[in-house]
Amino acid sequence: MITLRALTKRYGEKTVVDDLTFDVEPGRVTGFLGPNGAGKSTTMRMVLGLDRPSGGEALVGGRHYAELRHPVREVGAMLDAGSVHPARSAGRHLLAMARSNGVPERRVEEVLGAVGLTDVAGKRAGTFSLGMSQRLGVAGALLGDPGILLFDEPVNGLDPDGLRWIRQLMRSLAEQGRTVLVSSHLMSEMQLTADQLVVIGRGRLLADAPVGEFLAGESRQAVHVRLPGEAARRALAARLHGAGADTEHRGGGELVVHGMPVERVGDLAHELGIRLHGLSSQAVSLEQAYLELTAASAEYTTPARETEV
Amino acid sequence: MAAMTATEITTADERTGGGLHGAIHAEWTKLWSVRSTWWTVSAAALLLIGYTALAAISVRVQADNGGPEEVLPSAPQITTEAVFFLAQYAVLAVATLFVAGEYATGGIRATLQWVPDRTRVLLAKCAALLPALFALGAALAAVSLVIAVPAIGGAGGGFTVGEGVRASLAVGTYWALLGAFALGIGTALRSVAGALTVSFVALVVLPMLCGAVGLPAVIDYLPGIAGLNLMLGPDAVNNITGQPVPYPGWAAVALLAAWSGAALAVGNAVLRNRDAG
Repeated sequence: MITLRALTKRYGEKTVVDDLTFDVEPGRVTGFLGPNGAGKSTTMRMVLGLDRPSGGEALVGGRHYAELRHPVREVGAMLDAGSVHPARSAGRHLLAMARSNGVPERRVEEVLGAVGLTDVAGKRAGTFSLGMSQRLGVAGALLGDPGILLFDEPVNGLDPDGLRWIRQLMRSLAEQGRTVLVSSHLMSEMQLTADQLVVIGRGRLLADAPVGEFLAGESRQAVHVRLPGEAARRALAARLHGAGADTEHRGGGELVVHGMPVERVGDLAHELGIRLHGLSSQAVSLEQAYLELTAASAEYTTPARETEV
Repeated sequence: MAAMTATEITTADERTGGGLHGAIHAEWTKLWSVRSTWWTVSAAALLLIGYTALAAISVRVQADNGGPEEVLPSAPQITTEAVFFLAQYAVLAVATLFVAGEYATGGIRATLQWVPDRTRVLLAKCAALLPALFALGAALAAVSLVIAVPAIGGAGGGFTVGEGVRASLAVGTYWALLGAFALGIGTALRSVAGALTVSFVALVVLPMLCGAVGLPAVIDYLPGIAGLNLMLGPDAVNNITGQPVPYPGWAAVALLAAWSGAALAVGNAVLRNRDAG
């Protein structure tokens, strides 16, 4: 269990993490989503005691990380892949880690095997590809067999095989009853692994809901209507509003309708005698729902209206 | 590609260990598992022994050519010069890299995850590094004295076995305290280049400045000169200041320890109060 209470981090005038309060429950994978610069990594660093909160607190298993006698055995974390000395071999890195927390040294062999790095245990970490560095990070997180695990953008640099592997790993860790927090800026990735989603933007909590609920709540069906002219569009939009739907004007004769099934939109157009040039129903993916949710809070956006991640 | 499930991972069952002892063990492992440590230690050995041997031969040649016997240095004096002019920079490098290097590589984040008590991290680094530096300094100084005796061939000032042992222990003590000083500076500044610059200024530039602005009385109390005085011993003339060493060996140790303690205290304050970096 990870507990955040009004967690806040400011650097001078800039508030990077803003009053975050949520729990990460054991036994499921919690996806921690947000655009780049939303404050995910800073939040994780505060959970791990690396950065000091400007306000509020972060607890792991009800205690501050710094109070843990054997932190590696209670909390496993894979932060950015760059926290290993490049001149040290993977095996020696893990050995030092094991010794620091009284973890049996045979665990080094075990976790190296578990992440598929046995053959390169003696190689310097600086020679590793990004994917291998990620695997070494995962090995470090698993070393102390902890009940709480944090992974910061673990899928970066992994090949398809590695992707599948890490998804299975997260799922199985959660099934064993562990607390698993995984950050990502990719909603599509979370859709595949997470049970619960915590979405932040500009350091603020935007959503904290089960994946299913998130889909139902944020990504309703949208109906795209193409109309012959402006007058027709305005007439139909007025009728749809009257019937309780939301509409969005996409320029020209394009209309996007939320909160109404496609059949009903077609029927209403028919009642008004409006010709349609196009009518289609589109399920908004979790990805789009996420983009909509975070659009207003994205730290860095390209000028284009549609930002592809 | 290893497919795995976490169930393959067995449980860490020994619920002991860790603490300061674990932190020291981890730092010891880290110290000797990067090549830079081996390179800098080799450089220290080469500089110390190489300089001593060459300088000893030079003294012998001068003596053979009828140089004035009384101004020629003894073997312990040559070794002291080798430490002060050359080998101490290798000691600075190894100690600075040991802590400031972690900020360059990001390794500090791993270190503080494993050992979140930051004062304990600094203590562990001292406990891993300083005894090693003491042993290395004493052993290398002893070896260079043993090499210097036949090389100098009876020229220069003589010395007793007791004086040789004292000189070797003094070099070991200086290296350990210098290492502590560099650890403190490195922890405070978090940059290898910055820490090396500040240490160099403290050891070499500051004594020159003090001499230039007419504060010669201060020079003997600066860390580098205190180290030099420690290694020269209480009866010798300091060849930097040109004055006799003004205090006994224990006072030199106390002075150095005060400098190192101050540097470590500043480093510890920065480490405890700032984000991990």
